[in-house]
Amino acid sequence: MSDATLDAEKLAEAIGFDLEPSRRVAVLAAFADIGKEIRKLRALDLADVHPAVVFSPLIVEGDHD
Amino acid sequence: MIDEPATRSIADLAPALKAGTLSSVDLVDDALARIAALDGSLESFVCLAADAHDQAIAADKDLRSGRWRGPLHGIPVAVKDNYLTADMPTRAGTEARGIDFPRRDSAVVAKLRAAGAIIVGKTRMHEFAWGNVTPPTKNPWDRTRVPGGSSGGSGAAVAARLVPVAMGSDTGGSIRIPASLCGTVGIKPTFGRVSRAGIVPHSWSLDHAGPLSYTVADSAHVLNAISGRDPADPGSRAAAAPDFASAIGQPITALTVGVCRNHFFDRNQADVDAAIENAIRFYAQAGAMILELELPLLAYGLGAIFAIELSSSTAYHAKSLERGVVAGFTDDVRLLVEMGRLVTGPDYLKAEQLRTALIADIAKVFADVDVILGPTSPLTAWPIGEWTVRVGAEDESVLAASWRLTYPWNLAGLPAISLPCGFDRQGLPIGLQLAARPFDELTVIRAADFYERAHDWKDRRPSV
Repeated sequence: MSDATLDAEKLAEAIGFDLEPSRRVAVLAAFADIGKEIRKLRALDLADVHPAVVFSPLIVEGDHD
Repeated sequence: MIDEPATRSIADLAPALKAGTLSSVDLVDDALARIAALDGSLESFVCLAADAHDQAIAADKDLRSGRWRGPLHGIPVAVKDNYLTADMPTRAGTEARGIDFPRRDSAVVAKLRAAGAIIVGKTRMHEFAWGNVTPPTKNPWDRTRVPGGSSGGSGAAVAARLVPVAMGSDTGGSIRIPASLCGTVGIKPTFGRVSRAGIVPHSWSLDHAGPLSYTVADSAHVLNAISGRDPADPGSRAAAAPDFASAIGQPITALTVGVCRNHFFDRNQADVDAAIENAIRFYAQAGAMILELELPLLAYGLGAIFAIELSSSTAYHAKSLERGVVAGFTDDVRLLVEMGRLVTGPDYLKAEQLRTALIADIAKVFADVDVILGPTSPLTAWPIGEWTVRVGAEDESVLAASWRLTYPWNLAGLPAISLPCGFDRQGLPIGLQLAARPFDELTVIRAADFYERAHDWKDRRPSV
């Protein structure tokens, strides 16, 4: 079992990933390659970089339908 | 009288409509006749406006009274099925029960109507804009192949010359990929330039709205009609909107073209690489300066866009997950929506940090170049039903391959256009992609139009 799959298994367990067993297997398998790309991102040191998300205390206007 | 007017560009049609030598009724009826004759096998439309003919009568009345509203007045336009419309249902590509959308016009549809456009129908899309194949729509150049997606219906409809313009949405390439695979123009404007209010969300910070059209000039005319600040879209910006059509027919004097040699040229089909190298030579011979560059952070882009798109999509569909409505989704979309829960909070924020760093690196590059040029897609249209494709010397999933060259401009929110730049040895279109600084669509349009005018790719049509 790859590191990415193992990670996903552990995470699924921890968050109570409540899918029926066959779907859980399918989702985890499909996530394996994507998980590898996300793991690559984790290795990047960006501690000093502000995320591209800006908080505002003002009411956000928008389309709420 | 113009023969087959629906197959002509807005630049040809608008003066005739304004002068009264062509009526909107004749134009719209021609578009509807072409749809009736050709779309049975293409399956690019999901719905037609029952009152399209009446809308055209009203447009003609206005035109005859001298109330010309601009180049889109009387022009038939299709919109992707994730744009809300008052007169047609919206399904966003889903057949799942328990999903309903309001009957009202999205901001873009309202602006198009105000500009006099006739909204003739809605085009097919992949469910909730996830994915890049748009079943069961076929590519007009080869009906055994995909049109790309997720605005695949819009790509196929424009390529088959059913309508001069169809609107798309682009979260990771969903306007530019079908434009490239179908041989049309498609532009994703800067994030914030065009309101997404009333477009079914896929990923709030990545979604963009824009047109697919026969020519660069036609897309510029549409941008003129749909741009502008809209408080109903929290991402909308109050940037000055120039006359985008003013960039048409301009020289490329002093243009510096950047060519990013990593990522965009790592793994492409040979015919795609050859067509792009020809385009680079064209710009060099026309007097542009060519500057080669690298953007190393793009190596982390796929993880970042997956983290953001999966998280956003799962958040948007949370209610459907909770109620079991996702059981009615197509298998691949259900899988992706369920999968988003495996992206952690730190992963999501790391992806947003990556965006900040990438935007900063790209800004440094844009201190020296005006546009960044490359292929839109590493491959041409692949056979329907194939999930793995051969790209260069490797087999790759279509999901990973098809958006590799488009999603960087969604992560950075920059304007990017795809336009035809040749055909591969199987006769399938190849797309050239140009991106520019934020809110500098003018340069993208100027550079793309200059290339388009010097080539005849836009005049080639699929045999439909």
